[in-house]
Amino acid sequence: MDSTAEILSKTNFSTVDWVIVICYPLISVLLGLIARKYIASMKDFVTAGQSLGTALGVATLTGTELGLITVMYMAEKGFKGGFAAFHIALAAGVVTLFVGLSGFLIYRLRAMEVLTIPEFYERRFGRKTRILGGLMMAFGGILNMGLFLKVGSMFIVGVTGLSAESWALPAVMIFLLSLVLIYTVLGGMVSVVLADYVQFVVLSFGLLITTVIAVNRLGWNHIFATIDQFMGAKGFDPTVAEGEFGVEYIVWMGFLGLIGCAVWPTSVARALAAESPQTVKRQFTFGAVSYLIRWLIPQFWGICAFVFIMTHDAQLKGLFFPETAGVEPFDARYAMPIFLGRILPPVLLGVISAGMVAAFMSTHDSYLLCWSTVLTQDVVAPMFGGHLSTRARILLSRTLIVVIGLYVLWWGLFYRGTEDVWDYMAVTGAIYFTGAFAVLAGGLYWKRASSTGAVLALLAGCTALLGLTPVQGLFGVTIPSARVGLVSIGATIAAMVFGSLLFPDRTGKGEQVLAARGPS
Amino acid sequence: MKYWIILWQVVLVGGLLLFGAMAVWVTIGGFFDIKKLFRRIAERHQREP
Repeated sequence: MDSTAEILSKTNFSTVDWVIVICYPLISVLLGLIARKYIASMKDFVTAGQSLGTALGVATLTGTELGLITVMYMAEKGFKGGFAAFHIALAAGVVTLFVGLSGFLIYRLRAMEVLTIPEFYERRFGRKTRILGGLMMAFGGILNMGLFLKVGSMFIVGVTGLSAESWALPAVMIFLLSLVLIYTVLGGMVSVVLADYVQFVVLSFGLLITTVIAVNRLGWNHIFATIDQFMGAKGFDPTVAEGEFGVEYIVWMGFLGLIGCAVWPTSVARALAAESPQTVKRQFTFGAVSYLIRWLIPQFWGICAFVFIMTHDAQLKGLFFPETAGVEPFDARYAMPIFLGRILPPVLLGVISAGMVAAFMSTHDSYLLCWSTVLTQDVVAPMFGGHLSTRARILLSRTLIVVIGLYVLWWGLFYRGTEDVWDYMAVTGAIYFTGAFAVLAGGLYWKRASSTGAVLALLAGCTALLGLTPVQGLFGVTIPSARVGLVSIGATIAAMVFGSLLFPDRTGKGEQVLAARGPS
Repeated sequence: MKYWIILWQVVLVGGLLLFGAMAVWVTIGGFFDIKKLFRRIAERHQREP
């Protein structure tokens, strides 16, 4: 065993932990089997019969949005940016609270009783907008989840001490993907909701306990002092230009906070599955705490991992921050799982890892279900003029789940971008959500918003592709992803406004839809 | 910089306390919501076989 492998293999992860991690996902598969008998219609499959209460709504909202990928990319941000990264979490919490209290976007969407966002596009702007909107959503969304499987699997590989073994990552990826596909295909939204609930219970208490252990191990004051020592002001102040962030980035994060709760389809799917528009507002008001915590705690773990590596383990410090010129630093995404593997005791490590696997699965099932139903309900079914049977729709959704799952495996193995995972996700998501934001806000709040404006806004979202490092490489430019995202937002809003003013609809549909919606 | 340190300490501790309270509420309330969810779906299937 070479020295790197020897360093990385040090972990408290034991045989008992392996047993816990392997057995736990089987519970989710069992839930999928139980839920299957409750699936009789597309409404049951997609929105659990629109019967979610507030507490279960918060659990499933958290379960979906607090995925292992979330934990990994935010830990990476904390590891590299220190406490300054907290502004991302704070922005998300504040904006979600605003959405919950005001009902901005989500209340009116739920009041219209649509099943998906593209269904709203059709009611407001016509069928062509629905099909284009569905395609853009699926394109951006599927690209967005391209790294989920790989990064999630990196946690398992890192925490178990296998990160130096080349076979480990693809093997874990294939195992996890197989489990997710089985129970998502079986149960649809009902099984997703059950899995989300179990995941919420295990992971929320796991997050809190692990955080207490990390602070206890490193020392509260020592954590802050170490960040101050190695990062200085840029480790605390996100506005420092030479740090990881800057003002432009903060504005971009504020917008992403809004998108994450009120426009992103997996979040909106929870709003549309709620039992009433009022429940939606309560769900998001309480959910604001989850939206804060789901990013805050992983960022803090990333910070703790940095402190641990810099002050407790010289070998790891040499790996992650090599002093020899020309030596590549070890992948920063492994820092947090390796740190947890060193500080958590056996059994608890197994439970936390199992909770993370559950988080991984609950995110994957929701996203797979979301994108497959968007393609089925909003792209394929409208092409058949609504004559596709329920059975055919469910079969198509299940087939697409498998196809998307295989793509995620392929993309995870072969994508070579160099940006942080979070920035990759923000940019790929922006392909869809910048246009969707303009279309939703325009469609729900502006009578004169037209179908031409909507189509142009959706297409303008493609400008976000320029934020990806391989695309920038093609054009030979280097532009911060935050700037690309903000320009993309401006482009979609401008397209919506000018498209609507120059090419107004003559049907009066906007006034009809806005007259029929709720008060918020 | 001192201001930022205090802000992040308040956000972290406050967030953890709020989340702890919410976790207890969601765990209990969610269990009863699941029972209600299955009952409603079953009732609707009986009404609309």
